[in-house]
Amino acid sequence: MLRFLTRRMLLLVPVVLGVATLTFMLMHMAPGDPARTYLGDRANPAAIAALRHEWGLDQPLWRQYLNFMGGLAVGDLGRSMFFHDRIITLLAIRLPPTLWLMAMATLFSIVISVPLATWMAVSRGGAVDAGVRSFNAIAQGTPLFFTGAVLIAIFSLNLHWFPVAGYGNTVSQHIASLILPSLSVALVIVPFLIRGLRGALMDALNSEYVNFAKAKGLNRRAIWINYALKNASITGISILGIQVGYLAGGSLVIENVFAIPGMGTFLMKGILNRDFPVVQASALVFALLVIFIYLLTDIAYGLFDPRVRLK
Amino acid sequence: MKASPIGSCLLGLAAGVAMSVSPLAFSAASAQDTPVRGGNLVMLRAEQLRTLLPSQPTDNASIWVIEEVFDTLLLPKADGTGVVPDLATSWTQSSNGLEWTFHLRHGVTFTNGQPLTSKDVKFSIEQTAKPSSPFAFIDASIAKITTPDPYTVVITTKKPFAPLPSDMAIFANSIVPYNYAGMKPADFAKHPIGSGPFMLKSWTPGVEATFDRNPHYWRKGLPYLNSITFKTVADSNTRANEVQGGQAQIDEFPAYSSISALQNSGGSVKVGTFPSSRVDFLSINNTKKPFDNVDVRRAIASAINKNTLVKVVLFGHGTPAGAYMSPSSWSFDKSIKGYPYDMKAAKAYLKKSPVPNGFSGTIMVASGNSDQQTMAQIIQASVAKLGIKLTIQTLDPSAAYEALQNGNYEIGFGYDTTDIVDPDEIIRFVGSYEGGSHSLYSFYKNKQIDEWINKAAMLNDQAARQKLYFKVEEQWNKDSPDVPLFYTPEVYAYSGNVHGFHPFVTGNYGLVNVWMSK
Repeated sequence: MLRFLTRRMLLLVPVVLGVATLTFMLMHMAPGDPARTYLGDRANPAAIAALRHEWGLDQPLWRQYLNFMGGLAVGDLGRSMFFHDRIITLLAIRLPPTLWLMAMATLFSIVISVPLATWMAVSRGGAVDAGVRSFNAIAQGTPLFFTGAVLIAIFSLNLHWFPVAGYGNTVSQHIASLILPSLSVALVIVPFLIRGLRGALMDALNSEYVNFAKAKGLNRRAIWINYALKNASITGISILGIQVGYLAGGSLVIENVFAIPGMGTFLMKGILNRDFPVVQASALVFALLVIFIYLLTDIAYGLFDPRVRLK
Repeated sequence: MKASPIGSCLLGLAAGVAMSVSPLAFSAASAQDTPVRGGNLVMLRAEQLRTLLPSQPTDNASIWVIEEVFDTLLLPKADGTGVVPDLATSWTQSSNGLEWTFHLRHGVTFTNGQPLTSKDVKFSIEQTAKPSSPFAFIDASIAKITTPDPYTVVITTKKPFAPLPSDMAIFANSIVPYNYAGMKPADFAKHPIGSGPFMLKSWTPGVEATFDRNPHYWRKGLPYLNSITFKTVADSNTRANEVQGGQAQIDEFPAYSSISALQNSGGSVKVGTFPSSRVDFLSINNTKKPFDNVDVRRAIASAINKNTLVKVVLFGHGTPAGAYMSPSSWSFDKSIKGYPYDMKAAKAYLKKSPVPNGFSGTIMVASGNSDQQTMAQIIQASVAKLGIKLTIQTLDPSAAYEALQNGNYEIGFGYDTTDIVDPDEIIRFVGSYEGGSHSLYSFYKNKQIDEWINKAAMLNDQAARQKLYFKVEEQWNKDSPDVPLFYTPEVYAYSGNVHGFHPFVTGNYGLVNVWMSK
């Protein structure tokens, strides 16, 4: 296990280097001068030059790149040009809401998908099966921002169960604020998960090992949980891993709809402002998040599947 | 209320409110209600607060907050017709026109308890006058500042300069403690000390900032609110939802398309459209062929149906533009009608030009700006009838902005707003090459216009200045470097329990007069 983790951590190095270099180059090549954006129309050339100097933008590109990579090597992500705060301080504000959102969305996806998929597999071809399948089609065809807006209209504006938007100031407020957004995100994942799980469950139910378990006289419940569901969950985990990893980057839409001060809105505003350090740091964080989720997925495989269990 | 020219009775009343210090005068504005103390107001805004250092920002999101934290020598009137006393109780101009003497109010203290004196005033204005400050141009007329005693400030200008009092009412000339009370400017920007109605309590960069009532504020009994919180909410639907759901009280700039829905939402939400100084333009790069030809520009101007734009983009909440100055300014010449929508005239103009049968060009829009997209499509369709084939070019907002400033575009969109009540700033910004935006990105140069503008700034007689400004607007209209599209109101949606909210023409929120009923 330790060797596996070390190897995976070492793999991070080229990924971090690659993402950092790519974002650096893209941001610096894109038209749009941060100093101009910051100072507006009336700034005289002296003011712009002074600000460019303060931000180090008057240095040759290779030196800016070396400065940036050098800082990265010692864990210094620099300062936001627009807020003058250290990036690490801003990340401490922005990262938790996104992590909460992803965690709750994952939880909701599992809680919704597993029972439904099981039910569908049991009542194969029945009314439940057909009903959930049409629900899947609708959920998959609905854009995320629309789902969010509908949930707000029903549960916040009419029923007043949850806050309309925002993130609140205490842990209980955070959770209450994130229920609708994470539900919206979950509804994107759920169709994939249900379809995958249902298929895997049906395969498992037709398999030799389940027939063998039946022959052995094990009860239905034990067969379902210990044999069918356990095996199907491997498919579920890989689907979940890919979807959640994908959504780490897609958090922007839902953070925007629900005004959650997370990584997505942070990155978006950074790009519009040409706040280079913010964009570079956010891109890195997203890359690390995706890698971390895939790592978790791999570890979870091992828990369910002895064949890939890590030594 | 519709965005209307200055002088409507409602506006006059609100101006009185903004100027008055006593709650008594306020109650006249809303007869049945008496202001109540208390309440925590939450205002939602699309943009983020960047800095609280008065000499630094150029963005309204920072500027309008700074105005709640700091005081200025003078204050603009809400309707934009002039200035009124604030920290200075009176001011005089010397007979040679060069020296302005300001008498400061006694008994004003900063939130750290230190009294506000002439030394602080001199220091503050000198910070903004530094070349590295983006608003240095506003103090460029100043030769020196002296402080004969703690409550007198004398500002000497290089030439007689009529707009000076207006320039003392701008946020950039807010009064900070001398030497930032010993702090570095960067630290002061995060921990400001002002004398205004509110003081910073907490600030999460990019997310929200809360300001408490300043208990030592010099206007007794004000402000009414216990605190104000500015939150960044980028999505306009979310802002509207939060106000409807009671989670916030004021939504800055709801989408024009949502205004009627908000007005019909059951009465708990009010929508205010306040006259502003904003004028939206179609910017034309006069240095590119064939746009260097005046008849080409006139043809384009005549082919634009401004009424349609107002209907489609502003949903009727605006006025088609004539002169390039805003109707909120006394320099506005209402006799100038621009180029009325007339395809026959447009064709006739084009016939006279070097490209009588049309040409191809590009019109630039900022990505994510659906208003610009819509306008570009309407204009594209209309000029196509003249044989002008425009291709819509979408650029990221920052790149589009840079293209406008560097003249790397053919046709695009721009707008202006003013920060001071004197027309001097905007008449230059749009009319003069040196005014900051190369005549609103047209790169139009006219020596005669520059002469008139400079002469007007040196005159003290407003009628005489107005005459010169009318001439400027007329000449500009003749040359048609850009096309003024419409005069745009400021729109706010706010909950029914918010009273006395009336932003100024210059944008100031004036939250000191706002109160909330239970």
